[in-house]
Amino acid sequence: MTATHCPYCSLQCGIELETRAGAVTALTGLESFPTNRGGLCRKGSTALELLAHPERLTSPLLRVGDELVPVDWDTALDRVAAEIRRVQERYGPDAVGCFGGGGLTNEKAYQFGKFARVALRSASIDYNGRFCMSSAAAAATRSFGIDRGLPFPLPDIAEADVLLLVGSNPADTMPPAMRWFEAGRERGAEHIVVDPRYTATAAAAHRHLQPVPGTDLALANGLLHIAIADGLVDEEYVRTRTTGFDEVRRAVRADWPDRVERTTGVPVAALRATVHALASAGQAMILTARGAEQHADGTDTVTAWINLALALGLQGRPGSGWATVTGQGNGQGGREHGQKADQLPGYRKLADPAARAHVAGVWGVDPDSLPQPGVSAYELLDSLGTDVKMLLLGASNPVVSAPNAAHVRRRMESLDFLVVTDFFLSESARMADVVFPTTQFAEEEGTLTNLEGRVLRRRKAVEPPAGVRSELEIWHALAARLGRGEFFPTEPREVYDELRRASAGGPADYAGISWERLDAGEELFWPCPSDDHPGTPRLFAELFAHPDGKARFMAVTPRGVTERTDVTYPFLLTTGRSRAHYQSGTQTRRSPTLAAAEPEALAEVHPDLARLLGLTDGDLVRLTTRRASAEVRIRCTRTIRRDTVFVPFHWPGVNDLTSARLDPTSRMPEFKACAVAVSRVPAPLSTPQEVPA
Amino acid sequence: MKEQLVVVGNGMAGGRVVEEVLARGGADRYDITVFGAEPYGNYNRIMLSHVLAGEDVSEIYLNPLDWYAASGVALHAGVRVVRIDRSSQKVFADDGQAVAYDALVLATGSRTFFPPMDGMWLDDRTLIPGVFGFRTLDDTVAMIDYARERSSAVVVGGGLLGLEAAYGLRQHGLDVHVVQGGPVLMSQQLDSPAGAVLRGVLEKKVGLHVHTGRRPAAIRSTGSVTGVLLDGGGTIDAEMVVVTAGVRPNVGLGVASGLTVERAIVVDDRMRSVDDPAISVVGECAQHRGEVYGLVAPLWEQAAVLADVLTGADAIYTGSRTVTKLKVAGVDVTQMGLRGPESEDDELVQYSEPRRGVHTSLVIRDDMLVGATLVGDTTQVAALTQAFDRRLPLPENRAELLFPQAGQPAAVSAADLDPSTQVCTCSGVTKEAICDAVAAGAGTAAGVMDATRAGKGCGSCKSLVARIVEWAGTPAEGCARCDLVAVGG
Repeated sequence: MTATHCPYCSLQCGIELETRAGAVTALTGLESFPTNRGGLCRKGSTALELLAHPERLTSPLLRVGDELVPVDWDTALDRVAAEIRRVQERYGPDAVGCFGGGGLTNEKAYQFGKFARVALRSASIDYNGRFCMSSAAAAATRSFGIDRGLPFPLPDIAEADVLLLVGSNPADTMPPAMRWFEAGRERGAEHIVVDPRYTATAAAAHRHLQPVPGTDLALANGLLHIAIADGLVDEEYVRTRTTGFDEVRRAVRADWPDRVERTTGVPVAALRATVHALASAGQAMILTARGAEQHADGTDTVTAWINLALALGLQGRPGSGWATVTGQGNGQGGREHGQKADQLPGYRKLADPAARAHVAGVWGVDPDSLPQPGVSAYELLDSLGTDVKMLLLGASNPVVSAPNAAHVRRRMESLDFLVVTDFFLSESARMADVVFPTTQFAEEEGTLTNLEGRVLRRRKAVEPPAGVRSELEIWHALAARLGRGEFFPTEPREVYDELRRASAGGPADYAGISWERLDAGEELFWPCPSDDHPGTPRLFAELFAHPDGKARFMAVTPRGVTERTDVTYPFLLTTGRSRAHYQSGTQTRRSPTLAAAEPEALAEVHPDLARLLGLTDGDLVRLTTRRASAEVRIRCTRTIRRDTVFVPFHWPGVNDLTSARLDPTSRMPEFKACAVAVSRVPAPLSTPQEVPA
Repeated sequence: MKEQLVVVGNGMAGGRVVEEVLARGGADRYDITVFGAEPYGNYNRIMLSHVLAGEDVSEIYLNPLDWYAASGVALHAGVRVVRIDRSSQKVFADDGQAVAYDALVLATGSRTFFPPMDGMWLDDRTLIPGVFGFRTLDDTVAMIDYARERSSAVVVGGGLLGLEAAYGLRQHGLDVHVVQGGPVLMSQQLDSPAGAVLRGVLEKKVGLHVHTGRRPAAIRSTGSVTGVLLDGGGTIDAEMVVVTAGVRPNVGLGVASGLTVERAIVVDDRMRSVDDPAISVVGECAQHRGEVYGLVAPLWEQAAVLADVLTGADAIYTGSRTVTKLKVAGVDVTQMGLRGPESEDDELVQYSEPRRGVHTSLVIRDDMLVGATLVGDTTQVAALTQAFDRRLPLPENRAELLFPQAGQPAAVSAADLDPSTQVCTCSGVTKEAICDAVAAGAGTAAGVMDATRAGKGCGSCKSLVARIVEWAGTPAEGCARCDLVAVGG
């Protein structure tokens, strides 16, 4: 039996793998692991279907004309190294870009950032976490001086007497987490869900606020306005633990209840009841997720919720405070160790001379040889073919998952050379010039950091299939061909120990978190600066991470940035995850069980809207935005707002529709709201159709 | 050298323009100068009725005086602009200063209209002590101050503002009479059935004396107000009079400067005067496509468009949909769009319960909500406002607009569920599988969950699992029937 963690989301449920004759024969939830206590969702419990999958890539592929043909590793690696040299000689070092993913282990995320800066000396690196966590990360860093998704262990959720969940649907996206919500409700906690959809999570809560997509910032400011007007502010906390409240107090005067009701559609009475519940609770939490964060004002929206948590004196108190529910498997660790355009390991800033000196010292390179910060994920994809001529893509499938994806596909087509590392031939991998097959969760060692900031060991249960190599081996082999192989060890533990040194003294300090301690069963949350440090399960009890130890209020104002509806595009489109699928579907669409559970993207449409448009359940419709069209079948449901269409984003084509308008701070695209037209696709509808790419 | 942006008027429209320009980085392009006739920062005028009713005044300032300096805006508070020289592009103020502009924004708002009444004025500028308008913070503070020693008041004008004034004075313990010339209160918003319901509520709940169809002819005074003489005879004894009989746009600067003025200063879709592209006009002194707005939402929409235009973005204002709310505690009135149907094809949906003070009427045209009046009901205001503003599709059963529960399906009972229904979607467990587990001897919900893994994921199905287990375990209609159905299905 091998104790490890689920390959999917940030909950990183503990699992046990049973092996026989070199193959994994069973996967069960690990009862002793504190976040899931043995519980698993359907994605996790079917994860074995991916290991010995018939479509598994087991050989490097090289493009020959229109086809990808199997080649040996040396041929593929030599070719990629030659292309790197050719492109960099002709266009400069930044012309070779790297695009990573929030599913990579800490070791890989760390090594990928180092590979870009030390092997390629390229500024062009970012990752898909930009599309996931960046708004919450930017807001938390701005307000608290540090970004850790949950500043407390997950079970603390059960301790909150009132819990407000904004744009988060864990009942579908991370079902095993629901036990903690349920435990809270059994204790008598009051749960309030903010979501344009009446989700399974909302159905389990006591109160559901159903705002217009893109108006969460106004909603949060409106609640703070009422808190101030009704004398609910914790003045003592504000005075002793924060700065900047006066300007926030002034700014939210413009967000009076009637105005917020009109903007958001949430009744004044519900606004009042919500903020009074939060303020009168002994312990209260505000959790945000992608619904609030994936907007062109996502950073400010999260900040507005943080402002509310600070004004009510919640942050840093037991069972209380704002937190964000991270999405991707290593969404937390993946954003701490240098995959991001502007970061170095340990959540250090690439532009900070002291950080450059420290990390360059660990790496044994000249600080001046490190490139300066590059551009964010969407901007990087948008520059393909112009500034960036060659891309190394791993653990991500941007032609499905990036906003304005049809445009991204055209940019990728315009590359001189595309290298994709994956274990399946994803839609992005199909476009590659070289594909490297890589290891899956049960075939590798490493660490991940879950949504709590808890560092976890991923353990190897079986050998990878013949012909498959881990990313660490691939990057070493490429670096060696570029004359820098000695900087890139291939053993995960060696990479991790280097990561610990590189992160030492940074905000996300892993120095004291050794594999030995983890393997001995210690529960360790960063920061953990030394071998005898117990780690930090709960942040902010005494101090925030800014130099003055105080949290910063930041005045933020709703600016109505969401794409306008008009006569041509009269409705709002929002996207999200469904219960059976995950991210771009590269894995889950290949799981027979999950594919059967949800074989295609179904657009949720309110029956009143369907009637207006002359549609019925199951009709094929064309959704058209200012960027593209996509055809999907509709499912009529009263759980969605009458003016909003919801489509799960796990299938090609859906993100062709979404907007790439970026948040000015986090560079998060406006995934969660854009204007859309809905029209019936004329008959015949006799043959079932796949969603076109 | 930056351009000079001069804003005349520091009320909700002018102040908002400045905020919106700053939010768009306008400080890089403009030096901003603001003139305000009142000696304060920009305050939230719609809060005045709350202030009159006794609420704290401290949260009223949208832009306190120190905000202007901190934001790099030169404010001249308590200074009036008296003249514009369009040829030299300068404004002249009543304190003698002249300021040049590249872009000029007129946001001079409106003022209280005092209908002609004998005995109202001491001289051509001064009201008899005890007579008030209800427009500014000074008006409000003076009313509160004056009301302290008084026991009765007459409010002239039974519109929205008049009723808020009357309610506010009631909170100070005064006996309050509302004199309304027409037959219906809030006649700009309400038809006569709705007005009648509102009147009943105001009389019973708030204790106002309402006189409709009467006009005040004269103010009676002995140095200060002692009463109001009504047209056609009769007197109401009162120690103060509040005049809320409408407002007039402050268009004097526009007229004197040769701008086109009809009901207000006429602007194009970019909020520019139709005569002079260097002059923009927003707020109650602006007339756009024939409309003059007096509500905050349209003013702020205009301000946002103008700020876009001033900072070089392309934007046009196409008019606003207006929603009016009466802000009187316990008396809820919301009105939007049409008061009633205008043609045979317009649908009218009404619900009236006068005894409880509830009256709702909706006007629907081409399957869209084009008007709604709600008296005494707050539960549907948000939803109907959304339907009105966003032109939402409407339920075929119009009753759902008034009573949302009308559209809710009844809760599904365990017995009614099809055996193939997935009860636990996390683990993919059907009702049939749960029944099988019960038949196999799992007697409790916990036992069934262990056996099937139902409820082991999100847990949201646990109560349904328990109900099915209970139902399946009931001999009369339990497993036997389940099996039958399962076989049949």
